[in-house]
Amino acid sequence: MNIVFIVIKIAIVVGIVMAHVAYATYFERKAIGHMQVRLGPMRVGPHGILQPIADFVKLFFKEDIIPAQADKPIFYIAPVIAVFATMSSLAVIPFFEGFAIANINIGLLFIFAMSSLGAYGIVLAGWSSNSKYSFLGGLRSSAQVISYEIAMGLSLVGVMMMAGSLNLSDIVKAQSAYPLKMYLIPQFLGFFVFLVSAVAETNRTPFDLPEAESEIVAGYFVEYSGMRFALFYAAEYIGMIIMSSIATVCFLGGWNGPFEIPYIPFAWFAVKVYVLIFFYYWIRATVPRYRYDQLMAIGWKVLIPLALLNIVITGFIKVMRG
Amino acid sequence: MKFKEIVKTVFFTEILKGMALTFKSMLTHAVTRQYPEEKRPAFPGFRGLHAFAIEPSTGKEKCIACGLCAAVCPSKCIYIYTKEGEDGRKVPEKYEIEILRCIYCAFCVEACPVGAIVLTEHFEYSDYSKEALYMTKEKLISNWNKYMAGEKGKQYFEKFWHPTLNDYREYEGQPVFRKKEG
Repeated sequence: MNIVFIVIKIAIVVGIVMAHVAYATYFERKAIGHMQVRLGPMRVGPHGILQPIADFVKLFFKEDIIPAQADKPIFYIAPVIAVFATMSSLAVIPFFEGFAIANINIGLLFIFAMSSLGAYGIVLAGWSSNSKYSFLGGLRSSAQVISYEIAMGLSLVGVMMMAGSLNLSDIVKAQSAYPLKMYLIPQFLGFFVFLVSAVAETNRTPFDLPEAESEIVAGYFVEYSGMRFALFYAAEYIGMIIMSSIATVCFLGGWNGPFEIPYIPFAWFAVKVYVLIFFYYWIRATVPRYRYDQLMAIGWKVLIPLALLNIVITGFIKVMRG
Repeated sequence: MKFKEIVKTVFFTEILKGMALTFKSMLTHAVTRQYPEEKRPAFPGFRGLHAFAIEPSTGKEKCIACGLCAAVCPSKCIYIYTKEGEDGRKVPEKYEIEILRCIYCAFCVEACPVGAIVLTEHFEYSDYSKEALYMTKEKLISNWNKYMAGEKGKQYFEKFWHPTLNDYREYEGQPVFRKKEG
């Protein structure tokens, strides 16, 4: 009986998240279009509202091309790894009070593990395509993920110390004692580090070097087409939703808001996640891509020391308060 | 490093300025024209598809087959074959324009002493065959009836182009392409 209940929960969460992924692409194209004083998609349906459906149908019926020299089993499995790794992070995110598919005590650690695993999808795709562009994309991605994973992990250590737990629901509950019901003010340094490294972790502009289209065409997924390409695309957007959700849960107080919204328990969560996703788009429309050495310098020389400083300050305050 | 520079690096003032700009431009109106639905009105003197002007009193073309247009045409895409008309005057038997070679300089319009050839404001006439873009006299006359009939054809010569034989007066602020003598 319990298993049936969990399967239903999984179906609901996956369905809702996939719909959000589809419309996140539309939202991105519209937002960036208007930021560049264009209109964005306008043709499919009123104001292009059916564009994601048209895109999906197109990608679904496209030919699936596999390069002759590719390492076929790995080539097949790489996009699945990417999607699987990002999707499984959804299991531990508490969307509202008492709702998480798996309310496990090491939630945060699980998400770290899965987001590191997601990099395997990218690296393997880059390797197995047997193309120089994919290979460079894969290499860049592995280097980038290794550098930024550390900063991201360290930035959340402050939150763990304050909440005294790795369970995401407990972290949200612990925040209600703080101003705005958020860790944003005491953990502003951690939040900043997390935000920057989350952008790098999801391979978004200005840290989109693994898929820098002006240098290496499309990076690790140059050789992919049709549905496999769509899987990578979906993985990137799910990754964005996951990162925004973690930021919401750990720094912005999860489902808690300044006032209660009746009947819609996930309203505040959705609002915060969408603000953060909009922030991703906003950065993409504004900031040009970093050079590779700059990217590494920011990761190792700025973000990691800042995250360590944040841990020291948090620990110091915690000791002082007793 | 000066204090100002330190503040600049720590608070990313430049990136924040850029973000403010993109956010501001998001709230302005898009400049896109949704082309097939939203057409931009042609400016006066727009040089589009060719047409053959008709004299309203007689219902016949104005052309006197002098051949000045063919002579002045830089790409030599106008072909005129003349014959003797009923009253002994020269009239065009055939008047053909190879549109695919035309460069839309409108020298023919400028050269024509009677204002017989015009360039209409119509520009959407791409086609898959070359034949459809080879203009004969009949096609040119039907172009006039389609795009220049009535007041529009009259205004075309009054406002923009000056056939030398007609005595149109200049109006205030008229773009002058050929100064009248005296």
